Amino acid sequence: MRRAFLTDIVRSVRGSAARFLAIMGIVALGCGFYAGLRMCGPDMRAAADALYDGTNLWDLRLMSTMGLSSDDVGRVREIPGVRGVMPSVTCDAIARLGSEQVAVRISSLDCGAAGASAADGAYAVASDDASYLNRPRLVEGSWPCARGECVISADVPAADYGLGDRVELLYGTSDLDELLGTTELTIVGTVSSPDYPYTGSFGSTTLGSGMISQYLFVGPASLATDAPYTELYLTVEGAAAETSESDAYQEVVGATKASLERAAARLAAARQDDLRTRAQETLDERWAEYDDERARAERELADAKEELEAAAAQIADGERELAAGEEGYRDGVATLRSQRANVERRLDGAAAEVARNQRTLDDRWAELGRGERELARGRAAYERGLAALLTQTGATSLDEARAGLAEHLGHLDAGIAQLEEGIAQAEGAPAQAQAAIDAAEAGVAEAQAGMAQADEGIGRADAALAGLTSQRASLEGQQAQLLARQAQLEQMLASAPEESREQIERELDQVGVGLAQAQAALAQVEGGIAEASAAKAQAEEGRRQAEEGLARAQEGLAQAQAALAAATEAQAQLPSLRAQLDDLRQRRSELAGALAGADELAAAKAQLDASQAQLDAGRSQLEDGAAKLRAARSQLDSGRASAARELARAQAQLDDARGQLDDAGAQLADARARYEDGRTRYEDGRAEADETFSDALAQLGDAQREIDELDRPDIYAIDRTKSEGAATYHADARRMDSIAAVFPFVFFLVAALVSLTTMTRMVEDDRVQIGTYKALGYGTAAIASKYLAYAGVAGTIGAALGILLLSQVLPLIVMNAYSIIYTVPIQRLPLPVDLGIALSAGGLGVGVTLLATWGAVLASLREVPATLMLPRAPKAGKRILLERLGPVWGRLSFTWKVTCRNLFRYKRRFLMTVIGIAGCAALLLVGFGLHDSIWDIIDRQYGPIIHYDTTVGLDDDATEIDVRRACDYLASTGEVDGIVRVQNENMQAGTRASDETIRVNAVIPRDTASMARAVTLRNRVTGERLVLDDDAVLVTEKLAIKYGLAVGDEIVLFDQDDVGTAVGPGHALTVTGVAENYVGNYVYLGRSAWASVSDGVPAFSTIYASTTPDDAVRRDIAARLPDLGGVSTVAFTDETIAMYRTMLSVVDMIVVVLIVSAAALAHIVLYNLTNINIDERVREIASLKVLGFTRREVSSYIFREIALLAVLGDALGMVLGIFLERFVVTTAEVDYVMFGRSIHPTSFAYAFVLTLAFTGLVILSMRRKLDRVDMVESLKSVD
Amino acid sequence: MAFVEFRDVEKVYRMGDVEVRAVDGMSFSIERGELVVVVGPSGAGKTTVLNMLGGMDAPTAGTIKLDGQRISSFGEAELTQYRRHSIGFVFQFYNLVQNLTALENVELASQICRDPLPASAVLGQVGLAGRQNNFPSQLSGGEQQRVAIARALAKNPKLLLCDEPTGALDYVTGKQILKLLQDTCRATGRTVAIVTHNSAFTQIADRVIEVREGRASGVRTNDHPADALSVEW
Repeated sequence: MRRAFLTDIVRSVRGSAARFLAIMGIVALGCGFYAGLRMCGPDMRAAADALYDGTNLWDLRLMSTMGLSSDDVGRVREIPGVRGVMPSVTCDAIARLGSEQVAVRISSLDCGAAGASAADGAYAVASDDASYLNRPRLVEGSWPCARGECVISADVPAADYGLGDRVELLYGTSDLDELLGTTELTIVGTVSSPDYPYTGSFGSTTLGSGMISQYLFVGPASLATDAPYTELYLTVEGAAAETSESDAYQEVVGATKASLERAAARLAAARQDDLRTRAQETLDERWAEYDDERARAERELADAKEELEAAAAQIADGERELAAGEEGYRDGVATLRSQRANVERRLDGAAAEVARNQRTLDDRWAELGRGERELARGRAAYERGLAALLTQTGATSLDEARAGLAEHLGHLDAGIAQLEEGIAQAEGAPAQAQAAIDAAEAGVAEAQAGMAQADEGIGRADAALAGLTSQRASLEGQQAQLLARQAQLEQMLASAPEESREQIERELDQVGVGLAQAQAALAQVEGGIAEASAAKAQAEEGRRQAEEGLARAQEGLAQAQAALAAATEAQAQLPSLRAQLDDLRQRRSELAGALAGADELAAAKAQLDASQAQLDAGRSQLEDGAAKLRAARSQLDSGRASAARELARAQAQLDDARGQLDDAGAQLADARARYEDGRTRYEDGRAEADETFSDALAQLGDAQREIDELDRPDIYAIDRTKSEGAATYHADARRMDSIAAVFPFVFFLVAALVSLTTMTRMVEDDRVQIGTYKALGYGTAAIASKYLAYAGVAGTIGAALGILLLSQVLPLIVMNAYSIIYTVPIQRLPLPVDLGIALSAGGLGVGVTLLATWGAVLASLREVPATLMLPRAPKAGKRILLERLGPVWGRLSFTWKVTCRNLFRYKRRFLMTVIGIAGCAALLLVGFGLHDSIWDIIDRQYGPIIHYDTTVGLDDDATEIDVRRACDYLASTGEVDGIVRVQNENMQAGTRASDETIRVNAVIPRDTASMARAVTLRNRVTGERLVLDDDAVLVTEKLAIKYGLAVGDEIVLFDQDDVGTAVGPGHALTVTGVAENYVGNYVYLGRSAWASVSDGVPAFSTIYASTTPDDAVRRDIAARLPDLGGVSTVAFTDETIAMYRTMLSVVDMIVVVLIVSAAALAHIVLYNLTNINIDERVREIASLKVLGFTRREVSSYIFREIALLAVLGDALGMVLGIFLERFVVTTAEVDYVMFGRSIHPTSFAYAFVLTLAFTGLVILSMRRKLDRVDMVESLKSVD
Repeated sequence: MAFVEFRDVEKVYRMGDVEVRAVDGMSFSIERGELVVVVGPSGAGKTTVLNMLGGMDAPTAGTIKLDGQRISSFGEAELTQYRRHSIGFVFQFYNLVQNLTALENVELASQICRDPLPASAVLGQVGLAGRQNNFPSQLSGGEQQRVAIARALAKNPKLLLCDEPTGALDYVTGKQILKLLQDTCRATGRTVAIVTHNSAFTQIADRVIEVREGRASGVRTNDHPADALSVEW
């Protein structure tokens, strides 16, 4: 090429920087976007591959339904294609982790290999051991080598537990205890495992909510001894060289998988033999153990029995001895009692005697007292009489008085007698005689009285005699008694033992004394009797005298009576005589009285003296008796005292004996109780032993049967496509491929239009020049090559820049977004540029540009140089359709008219602008629409569809009582309502036509009517409620879309194994409805429908409810529920919502990318358009300015057109956006989630307004260019 | 007082280090109603004079007055208003808006000023009554220039400025345009200034201003200007 020509190209580039940049920019955007998006998938796959290779991730996983052993490891190692083999133990459990109770997966970790490994950047973990697979990277802490240590995932966001915290495994899949040695673990470190790249779910499980929330690694020390391996992880020779999950990789791995499958039957047989042999060995050991144990137990029991019997004999002996002792004691007591009675009787007798004597003595003392008192009284009377007499007589003694008196009296008597005689003679003898008679009669009476007195004396003497006689008899009896006692005691003395002899002798002496006393008393009594006899004789003499006196009185009487008769004659002398007599008599009576008194006194004195003597004798006698009685009493007292001492001693001895007997009795009772206890224990032990051994026997029998019936295990291999993490990541990478296939189309289309418009303009600008070149002789190709070169250079530079930049930026953004849910590390920059994609993107971009350029140039080059030299006639103005509408058109101002006509005048520009703006608007709408769809997931799912926010899950083996207790508890809190019970089964769903299955929750409500309280089942489009009856099989929409299911189609539900792989032939069901649902996949089944899937009535052990949205309340309920028993999970929807937000924020990131690209697109298109527009119309603009148009008028004149195009494109973009959004939504969806299917009106508004805002922004920036248009341009000629 | 007055007007363009004195102390005046021809060779500075008189450019020094207004001291916005209301401009290449019909092109101007003349009437004056609804591309050069003149006149300007109005036209058509301008001046008493390099036009002018090397080298008046149709060049 000519040098000048080249210079021209360079200069033309310089001279039209804006044009050049426009082409460059749009090509850069188109190619870059295309290449960048296309490379997201490969980059993601490359990143995953680097991680997988760097950590030696398994290519195949060999599993056995009956575990695997080291022997199996050896067998597998020999299969061709197998490179590394790592056995592993894996099981699932529900664990208490921090405040949560969630399902976790526990795997074994080769601690030695882990310790020797070293993290090598974010991707690789280096180790010399080719059989150390799935190498986790230690993030913090240490490896879990000791028993009870574990490491957990470092990739769980917002975990409220960490290093040093404890993990309690509550229960797990059936083989948990068989596999793990401990259920109490302590977190010692955190790791990132390449086997769990997807943090949204670490896998499926049959436990809890069905999702693994955390994974744990434990060292071999924490495993149960003899725990079988649950699986073998294998790497395949040559697989690492291929990109993970590429076709080549699948081919390499598939070949080895096929060999494994061929070997599966052989492996299974070997495993069966191993298991059988080992089990039999173990069982034989247990049989031997059983026999040993049994013999030992029998021996021990026999020994115990023997001991018991010996004890029983001893006790019987003891009891017998005790009985004898008791008897002896009882005898002793009786003897003592009789002895005591005897002694007491004896003593009491003696005492009574003494008392009796005393009483007698006392009586006599009293008698004596009375006598003495009488005596005293008599003596006193005597003394008084004596004193009176002495006074009267004036004598000094009684005898003198008596003599004086008697003399005196004689005188008187003689006087009286003279007188009386006189009187009697005088007065009569009658009276004298009468008196004599009376005197005689008085003598008779006196004599008679004397006789009576004598009789009385005789009687008294007789009485005294009788008393004394009886006293003597009594004393004689006493004497005889004492003599008898004396004889008895002497006899006792002869037979008594030595110690009591003294006592008896003493008693004998006392009795002797008593005897002497009695004899003395007797003698005294004899004396009494003699006295009494004398008194009697005296009294009898008195009587005889009295009888004589009587006789004499009676004689006197007879004389007196004779005198009487004489007396009566002498009566005449009476009065003087009487007076004399009276006087004399007076004196006589006085004297007689006194003399009588004196005589009386003398008699009384004699009597008193006699009584005194008698009393004195009685007293001395009584005093003697008293002394004797005192002696007898003291003797009695001492006898009583000694007897009491003796008895007390005997009593003490007996008491002693009693105490000993009681002790012996207590000991014996104790021994018996012990014996009874021992016997009960023995019997219990016996029964227990019997039961234990019969159980053991039964168990051993069962075990033997199990061994005999041991099945052949099912051994199968799965590849990474069945690993939830790897497969989900791979699916997301492929999803990016789909998106990449559509989006850049818009950019390429716009790029072509931009190039075409721009180059057309350039060619037109260069008309004259082209003509000149032609005239100078340049060929068509040469001239065209200038423009092609121009466009080519712009396109190539743009493509290169765009591809280089965006192939880094876009995958970086996408992978960054995905790093929220994936642990696959982002590769180091620069990211690898896939040459194929880069070339195809660049080629496409540049090709489109060149093609457009060629189209633009071709038209001009056809013209002859002459015409080219002339300025091209301006494009003719044309009437447009609108003008036919006279009234409308007429009202438009000229500027509007220009605008309207211009719109249709430049069709290419029109197209470019409309498509570009439409693309921009569509991208924005996709962005906002995606945002809507994402938020709709949560807004529509939780509220309009799912009404419950609390899910309480109980164990599989929970009983009706457990569930009801949980329900009752919830209801009792007052914070929970809308309780609905369902059965929730974690299953896999698919169709007969598809190999793939996805996880679903099969929900069987206990009461179909109440289900509406928990979930609204409706058709999304019509809003019609779906019928949930007994036969209903309602699938959720996403599931239906995935498998193309409609009402009447067949869905197959599979049971799943512990790691979430579909097993069994599945259960086919006919779909009766498709329900609106956004999160998760559900199959709602009526009871009858469920009965065809599973036998038995479900427990309906999942509870849906609504809880007051208060953190404290919820925490409390979540904390209390697990204590009720059987409750395994408590989940609040808030947590689920939070999880989805995290998952979906990935797409939000893409929304931002879309908005930014839309803005870029809008800018490039509008900037280019405006630039061309202004360039093309510089003259017009300058003219308008000259005409006096203001700045604003000029702007609106020019930009109105662009604004209109923008509005038009915007509107078109809305339509385009709806379709594009639908495509993106369906592509971006993950299996687990259905996005909202409608774009909100606000999003249309946002997209529309934002597009106009971009337009406005471009217009604003272009105004300055407009201002710079010089009016002088208007004066220039058209060149 | 003169209608238009140029006094000691200087215009210096800086092009890098080079200073170009396009107008260097020019002074002249024009009376109301005069047909003025500014004549001079290329590069003499006559376009600069036109620009400054038309309010498209401001002088570096000196004063320019029109009808008592001191234009030389106007700012950007005032100049726009000045162009809008006081000046009618006729371009060498007509500068019609291709997308507007003849009438619309006239209206383009009349719609923005205060006291416009009826567009169709003005078109009638310039002899295009029957071509009102034609687009520029459907008109000949002379007709287009007539539309341009009509567009300038419709604004009812104080001063009609014409930049080589016949430059793009053939001889006959050019003469007719000149005639139109002369008639317009005579009939309406409007002041018309024609800038040209063609000294033949001086015959029809009331006043001739000769420009040479940035100065008004000669200002003379024709007491009896010739009829435009009689002029030969």
